[in-house]
Amino acid sequence: MSARTVTIHYNDKIVRQFLLASIIWGVVGMLVGVLIASQLNFWRVNFDLPWLTFGRLRPLHTNAVIFAFVGNMMFAGVYYSTQRLVKARLASDFLSQLHFWGWQLIIVSAAITLPLGFSRGKEYAELIWPINIAVAGIWVVFAVNFFWTLARRQERALYVAIWFYIATIITVAMLYIVNHLSLPTSLTHSYPVFGGVQDALVQWWYGHNAVAFFLTTPILGIMYYFVPKAAERPVYSYRLSVIHFWSLVFVYIWAGPHHLLNTALPSWLQILGMTFSLMLWAPSWGGMLNGLLTLRGAWHKLRTEPVLKFFAAAVTFYGMATFEGPLLSIRSVNALAHYSDWIIGHVHAGALGWNGFMAAGMIYWLVPRLWNKPLYSNSLANVHFWIGTVGILLYVAAMWVSGITQGLMLNATTEGGTVLAYPNFLDTLNSIRPLMALRIVGGTLYLAGFLLLAYNVFRTLQGAQVVDGAAEVFVDETPEVRVGVRGTFINPPVVFAILGTLFACAWMFGGDFTKLAGLFGTITCVILAWLHFQSKTQGWADWYERLLVNAAPFTVLTFMAVAAGGLIQIIPTTIVNRAQNVEDRIQVPYTPLELAGRDIFISEGCYNCHSQMIRTLVPDVMRYGDYSRLGESIYDHPYQWGSRRIGPDLARVGGKYPDSWHFKHMMDPRAISPGSNMPNYPWLFDTDTDVAALPSKLSVQRTLGVPYAALTPAEIQTQVDVQAQEIVTRLRESDIQVKPSREIVAVIAFLQKLGKSELVPAKPAAVQP
Amino acid sequence: MSDHAPKPPQEPGEDPIRHHVFDGIAEYDKRLPNWWLLTLYASIIFAIGYWMSTQHFRRPTDGARVTAAIQEIRAAKLAAAGNYDDAVLAEMSRNVGIVTAGAATFQSTCASCHGANLEGGIGFNLVDATWVHGGKPSEIMKIVTEGVLAKGMPTWGPVLGPKKIAEVVAFVLSKQPSS
Repeated sequence: MSARTVTIHYNDKIVRQFLLASIIWGVVGMLVGVLIASQLNFWRVNFDLPWLTFGRLRPLHTNAVIFAFVGNMMFAGVYYSTQRLVKARLASDFLSQLHFWGWQLIIVSAAITLPLGFSRGKEYAELIWPINIAVAGIWVVFAVNFFWTLARRQERALYVAIWFYIATIITVAMLYIVNHLSLPTSLTHSYPVFGGVQDALVQWWYGHNAVAFFLTTPILGIMYYFVPKAAERPVYSYRLSVIHFWSLVFVYIWAGPHHLLNTALPSWLQILGMTFSLMLWAPSWGGMLNGLLTLRGAWHKLRTEPVLKFFAAAVTFYGMATFEGPLLSIRSVNALAHYSDWIIGHVHAGALGWNGFMAAGMIYWLVPRLWNKPLYSNSLANVHFWIGTVGILLYVAAMWVSGITQGLMLNATTEGGTVLAYPNFLDTLNSIRPLMALRIVGGTLYLAGFLLLAYNVFRTLQGAQVVDGAAEVFVDETPEVRVGVRGTFINPPVVFAILGTLFACAWMFGGDFTKLAGLFGTITCVILAWLHFQSKTQGWADWYERLLVNAAPFTVLTFMAVAAGGLIQIIPTTIVNRAQNVEDRIQVPYTPLELAGRDIFISEGCYNCHSQMIRTLVPDVMRYGDYSRLGESIYDHPYQWGSRRIGPDLARVGGKYPDSWHFKHMMDPRAISPGSNMPNYPWLFDTDTDVAALPSKLSVQRTLGVPYAALTPAEIQTQVDVQAQEIVTRLRESDIQVKPSREIVAVIAFLQKLGKSELVPAKPAAVQP
Repeated sequence: MSDHAPKPPQEPGEDPIRHHVFDGIAEYDKRLPNWWLLTLYASIIFAIGYWMSTQHFRRPTDGARVTAAIQEIRAAKLAAAGNYDDAVLAEMSRNVGIVTAGAATFQSTCASCHGANLEGGIGFNLVDATWVHGGKPSEIMKIVTEGVLAKGMPTWGPVLGPKKIAEVVAFVLSKQPSS
């Protein structure tokens, strides 16, 4: 073996850039969070300004926290740790800078477009299509930079942190691209290619796994680097790493439908969403165990080291949130908790506790090393920890109580279960107001803690000299061990996993006989794999060690593991659940004016507070009307089933109130509904509907399969004028004067259409083969 | 595979540390906790069982279940309301729970004269769209309650009470040939 050594100078400039960007965007994202939390309780904080209303700012908050705060933090952590774990400088300084500035430009464009009302109307996927393309492009830059660095590594074996980074990069690319497939109607507007139930499924496959592969797996990788570093202790268990990594990436992907329980989503998908969420519990806790038990022998350091305090608390919150997640995925628990503040509390246990505290720990650990100067104040960091923790606990506890209270009130009945106890939705809203106020307190405390971090870092940086890490490494000149294509696929773990999945598919989708054969095959596969593993344990371990020095085969197998769940859930849904196969009821397509109104509804972010999905639950049906059928939103691009009911469901609001009700309600909700927290929408009354955009929009809708006749722009204009005039005439009868061209008229047309469907004639029974 | 980084010292009573060290990070290879494994296995077994119980055996769909539950509530409401006008009786005739209850009363009380399939016998045929004494729901209700003594129809009001009579009427209405 040669003793040749080389000196590597790490690119730590890029780490410093991402780190500071994360702090700045973190402050912005949390500030917007406190603002919108205040808007929920004090409607005046919407200021009657379009770009400051809740519906437009809530997407800004979520996007800023996920993609700007955690995104930048993740890139800093990934770039710092990867260079050191693979013993190579980042492959390209140019790509690193392109990655950084491209990402910041995306964030700035998001911060401008979202308040202006440019939105795709899908949660955490609101950004308009030109920005989507930029995100995909910059993500590819990140991927190239990362994998190129791996290709140049001096350390052949891949450490567990790198596994998680690989999973992150390929899975986020897959999720992001599929969920953002759209057809543009203009430079700033597009319709998603999926509609109704398909769009709902794809959205939550993406949305749930944005949590998994943007907020969890990269942060687990960061945990696997920074926790043992800070604690100066060995990682607890390598084999736990192996088991929980593969089970986590495989199982996570399937759990998306738990966001759609008790809805019109086909039952088999709901069952998969629930059971895979339950199966996710142990893999998630595997990560928690490896994090917490790595601290064994270092617990005493928690008293003095703020970094370890943050890490220990973050991993604990991770464990709490990943226990709560499976619990909330049980259909009966979900019936109470879904659409309520409990979900908001669950998300913030993860975002504030896990992501925010991992970020804080990492920043406090990195700053002295990147600027070669001790942290300005350990005491301030300790204060940050304590007020941050109190902030999270107040926030989460308030949301638990709020969610359960409102859920129980909405479900409560009297007179022998025949009448809703609180028929007025606002009674339930106003009973949780103290808890919404407590949430503002908790959030503000957390923000205050984070501001202390910013101040602490700022003071540390004053007069500090940047320093870039360097390392002397031995060049390993022994021949590489290549697994090759055969070695990648033809080996017991992979063969058993693929066979087992195929048999399980036969079991899920097969007819009577295939089903049983599939079940039998699955069980046989599991037993054989178990027996083989017991007798050839060393063989399995040796193969995995060989795989770990082969980055490309490792990446391919990871991609197969994460692709399986989506393929198996989404492909059958896009084939079967189409308009021509709909039974029972099918949606009546929107008229041009209604479509224009719907686009205003989406642009204002109304879906952030109003669902359009009456679940198959008695209280839902008693309150909002007959349960929503799958066909009733089949032409909705994007779907609008919603995820939180800050206001009532709108699926059947059409025809429930007169036009004048909506007119007055949009002008001043409290004039109609005393106690409402909905913002005023005065600008809808003096802005004209964008009729000129309709020909292009209708033509795209036709391409997407919505049954519109081919209309000329003049015909569209005529249809719009006629319908607008009808509404204006009805309003005039209530002594309301409004120009037919105003946006409010289109919004009223849309709202009055909601719930309009026609019966599908029963098809003749299929001939049995 | 080679590694030149110093390994941390082996601690007495601890599991061995893996041979490979990454940037100073060592790894134990401790066995998986039993309770953790049990959790994993239990959740997998539950998933298989739950899938089978919901997908292998025909169960009413979620939609059918909620519709039935809502009909029960409507039935209770209608019964509590007590005013059996045409609209209420028409709605009752579409309520599965009420019609089933009405059918039971009909078979035990009325079928002897009007036939098990309402085809008539001693009494009139009730499914031939011919109503001698008036065919509006409220009129049928009145006849059952007060009877038509001249034609041999007893007075059922004191015997069955308004709720059961309304159920029987709902059942009869549900059997009418749709126009």
